[in-house]
Parts: sequence; structure tokens; C-alpha cells
Amino acid sequence: MNKRNNENIVLEEYEIEFSYKKSKSNLNIQFNRIAFIFFIIFIISIIYTIQLLHLGSLNLDNKTQTISSNKINYRADIVDNNGNYLVKTVSTIDIGINPVEIINKKHLLVMISYIFPNKDIREIKKKIDKKKFFYLEKNIKPEHYKEVMLLGDKSIKSSERLTRLYPQKNLFSHIIGQIDDDNTGISGIEKSFDDELKIIKEPLKLTVDTDIQFLIREELVRFQPIFQNKGSAAILMDVNNGNILSMVSLPDFDLNKRKDINDVNYINRATKGVYELGSVFKTFTIAAGLNEGVIEPETEFKDLPKSLKCAKRPIREYDDKMPTDLTASQILIQSGNIGAVRIAQRVGLEKFPSFLESLGLMNKIKFDIEEVGKPISFRWGKCRLATASFGHGITTTPLQLAKGYSIVTNGGYDITPTLIKKNSLNKKKRILNNQVSKKLNPILRKIVSSKDGTANFANINGYEIGGKTGTAQKSVNGVYSNFKVNTFAAVFPMSKPKFVLIVLLDEPKANKEYIYYFKDGSGWKHKGNWRNTAGWTSVEVAGKIIEKIGPILATKYMEVK
Amino acid sequence: MKKIVLVISIFVLILITSLIKNSTKKIEDKLFVINENIRLLKSELGDVLLEYNYLSSPEKLLQHQTNYFENDLVQMNIIKMKKITLDNNDLIITDLTKNQKDNE
Repeated sequence: MNKRNNENIVLEEYEIEFSYKKSKSNLNIQFNRIAFIFFIIFIISIIYTIQLLHLGSLNLDNKTQTISSNKINYRADIVDNNGNYLVKTVSTIDIGINPVEIINKKHLLVMISYIFPNKDIREIKKKIDKKKFFYLEKNIKPEHYKEVMLLGDKSIKSSERLTRLYPQKNLFSHIIGQIDDDNTGISGIEKSFDDELKIIKEPLKLTVDTDIQFLIREELVRFQPIFQNKGSAAILMDVNNGNILSMVSLPDFDLNKRKDINDVNYINRATKGVYELGSVFKTFTIAAGLNEGVIEPETEFKDLPKSLKCAKRPIREYDDKMPTDLTASQILIQSGNIGAVRIAQRVGLEKFPSFLESLGLMNKIKFDIEEVGKPISFRWGKCRLATASFGHGITTTPLQLAKGYSIVTNGGYDITPTLIKKNSLNKKKRILNNQVSKKLNPILRKIVSSKDGTANFANINGYEIGGKTGTAQKSVNGVYSNFKVNTFAAVFPMSKPKFVLIVLLDEPKANKEYIYYFKDGSGWKHKGNWRNTAGWTSVEVAGKIIEKIGPILATKYMEVK
Repeated sequence: MKKIVLVISIFVLILITSLIKNSTKKIEDKLFVINENIRLLKSELGDVLLEYNYLSSPEKLLQHQTNYFENDLVQMNIIKMKKITLDNNDLIITDLTKNQKDNE
């Protein structure tokens, strides 16, 4: 009986559990019907919105994908100061054959010989037999491309390639440089601006002028057989902002031909060539004296000896007729070695090297291309001070020489040589006494305009040219040879300097047939050069260059008084 | 009532967003087409400029001079160049540079 009672209790408990479940289901239908409908709509709307956002983000992804894929085949163009193309990127198509996939070999060969009648079919057949992919035609013409693709052979593969065109051929070879097959710059601007060229949308604008570059190069090329020089270089730069309008180095090469050049003679002499430049350094010696206040242009140096000895080595004048009494300005005009030594000694061993350093002549210069030479370092001493005063035993590059001449003639403001056109002007920083240029410039003018000067052949009417010549013996393996490096650093117009022109001839020879016309108003002419010096070689070339480029400079780049 | 207003406003906002998104997509498409056209035109202009630069390069011009003009094209002497300036509606013509001999 007890057992039965127990069973009844269990049944009651079961009933309680059952009623609990029922009440739970009642909870679901307690929602407000309208709110429930709106809730469903809200969920659907959320799903719809998520879908929209997803689609939107998908589009964005596609765009970025196309941009990044374009970047692989992109390289910005390069233009000159006037917007003329120096380098233009075009996409070309290469056609290759994968022999494994050829459908009908005979038919393909016949059709190829029909489309490309000049191709050696035997060679193509050999390549096909090797069963390895090969290029049938690189940079294919559009009409040939259509014909080849219409053959419908699946072994024919086409690939788009980026090609750089250089419409000016050799003209800017050392400045622009080259790229490799992977669209990576390997020299010149192409190398130093490799990353920028792959990103920037507008063409990279340089400071150079195609017309001026052509005229300067033409003159250098014209004089090469006359003076039989091994190579030559010229730089035309704005003395006030360092913008390089022209930079030529010969021999040069056609960028379109894309050759591997290993011959050292093809180096960029304007930036990479490190030379002893001789008397062009005397200008810096005088400038140092003026800057330190140890000399004035009229300061007299009396009883100057014809030769000095330093460490048992003689220092002589290049001309025995050099007067023994000279003023500081006459020392520069007549290019006196002993006088220059005396001025450097007055400046002193502490200040002279630091002055040359402040002009950027002693160390490797930062420039827009990587092909830059490093001046040979040495330990300063009394003898080194003496020889460096007239440009011997001290080396630099023509680019640094241009910078040095710019600073000493532009009022003493520091400049940075550049090939890249900049929109904003850098603040000018004066590093020399403001009297240096005022006192130095008339002396430089007299070197060209007076009969005593060494650069009369560059006295072109209308340009007020000033400058200094430098003839130096070339050092080969540390020993001075009979070969010379003749340099002329010209600045014009001297009343308000605007341009510096450096002309360097590497190993020129005397020419007995060339006719010189004197620019002293006498109308005299002379056949053959008396001496193989800068005054008879580089000065003549510089004069002809300025005569040619002068009208362009006057009308485009300066206002002549 | 508040809940209804809130839900309706959310729904309306979602609807408007989707409509705006739709219309901006149309504008985006138009912009894409225009940009593509500009890109093609720029490419054409670049090719034409390249051709112009090549044909008018100093090297080509000198070739033309020797072939067709010979003595007609001569280099200008800076002494003969003049500068024209406008001052109060008056044209003033001056020498671009002075003759060196005049200065000396």
C-alpha cells in the first residue's frame, strides 16, 4: 500500500514538471506582434546593409589591385626645363614561342617565314627542336603582332614590357643613365631616383636645357679632332641657385642601344673624374686671402723669386718672364705660382684648408646622381699648402670646381649643384665675406679682357666674361706624365654673375693648323697654338660655346643690362 | 509608440543610405569612364609630344637648316638683340646688352 502511495507522489511530481514546460512555451508568444515584425525587418535590413558594405569594400579592393599591378609596369617620364621629353616610357609587346604547345610545326614555320621574311627560319627551327621557350620577336610592330596572333597557335605567347625611349639619343647619357630588364635604374638619374620614378604621376623635371646641351656638346665634339683630346667635359650652372643647365661628358653613348659599357674612358668626367686642375685653384687662394682680410687686390708682393724649394722639390713660375713685383690681382691675372704661394702662406695652414672645405672642394659632394668622384685626401703641411695654392697636389671634380666658382663670385652664398627642378627656393646662406666677390670679380674679368690675362680668346663681345685658366700635368699612377688636363672656369656676366661654365679637355694636343682670331680688337689671327695650355685650348672652346649659347641664355634665362 | 518611430526612422535611414550608395556608384562609374578617357588622351598627347620633341630636336633642326635653309637661318648676335618694354602705353626699345667697346 505504501508502495502505491509512493508511485502516486511520483506522478504528481511529473505533472508539476509538465506544467512548467508549458508555461515556458507561453513566454514565446508574449512578444508584441508588431514589434516582432519590425524586428524581423530590422534584421533583414542589417543583412542588406552588411551586404552593401561588403560590395563596397570589394570594389575598393579591385581598384587597389589594378593600381598595384599597374605600378609594376610603370616608370615616370623625365623632361627637361622646357618640358621636352628626355625619357619616355612606352609599353611594347614581345612575342615568344613555347615549342611544347605547338599544334602544327610545319604550318607555324611557314607562316613565320611569311610574316618575318628577314628571319632565319633554320635558327627558329633549331630553337623549336630544343623544346625550350624562346622570344621570336621583341618589341614587335603592331601589324606583325596582329598577324602572329591571328595564326591562333597556342604556343605563341605575348608579354607586355616597359620600354624607355630616349629621343635625344647621346645627349643626356651620363645624366639619365640606364635601367635593366626588371625596370630598375642602374646608373644616373634612373638609379638615384629609382623609387620616385615608380611612384610619381607627373614627369620628373630636370634643370637641363636640351638646346643648350646640344650646342655645348656639338662644340666639344667639333674640337675633339682639333685638339685630339681623349675626352672632355663641360658644366653650365646658375651661380645663384646651383641649377645645372647643361652637363656634358665625352665620349658618351646612345641610351637607346643599351650597351654594357666597361671602358673607363666613358666615365662621367664632369662628376666622377677627379683631377688636379692647376691654376684654376689660384682664384680660391686669392678669395681666401680676401675673405680672411690678409690681402687686398692692390696688396703688393715685392722681390718674388723665380723659384722656391720645398722638401727639396722646386716650385717654379710657368713663365720665366713673370715680373718679380706683383700685386695680388696681378698674381691672379698673370697666373703667378710664387705669388699664390705667398698669399696662401699669409692665410695660413689652419685657415686655408678650412676655406677650401667650406667651398665643398675637398670632400665627396652630395649630388643627384651617384656617379660622383671623391677628391684624393692628403695630410696638410707647409709644402702641401704651397703647392695647393696654385692647384698642384690637390684634386677635385669639375662639378665641385663649378660650385666653388659659384660661391666666390655670387656674393659668397652657399649653393648646392642640382639637376632636379625645384618649385621652392632654398634660403640663401652666406658663407663668405660679402666683399670677396666685389673685389674678386673685376680681377676675373681682367683675365679675359686684358692683354696680360691668359684667357683673351674667350672675350666674346656682349657677355662680360671673366674666368681663370688651369693647365695641369696629368698624374698617372702617382707620377706626373707629359699628358695635360686643360681647364677654363668662366663666369658671366661679371657685372652681375649669373652663370659658371667649366670646360675641361682631357689630354689635349697642340694643333699647328688651327686658326685663332684674337679678341683684343686688333683683328689679328694666328695659325697654330704656341703652347698646349688652357689659354690656347679650353678657353677657345669655351669662347665658341658662349658665342653659341649666349643668345638662348640672354633671352630665356637672364636679363642682360 | 517610441519604439515604432525609432524602428521606422532606422529603416528609412537604411533605405536612404542604400539609395545614396546606388547613386554614388553611378557617379563613380561615370568618373571611371571619364578618367579612362583622360588617360587615353594623355597617352595620345604624350606620343604626339614625343614625336614633336624628336622632330624639333636641335639635331633635326640643324639638318633641316643645312638641307633647306642654308643661309636663311643665321645665329643671332647678342649685340643686335633689342629689348621691348611697355611703360605707360609707350613701347621702349633698348639694347639687350651694351657693346663691350662702348663700355671701355
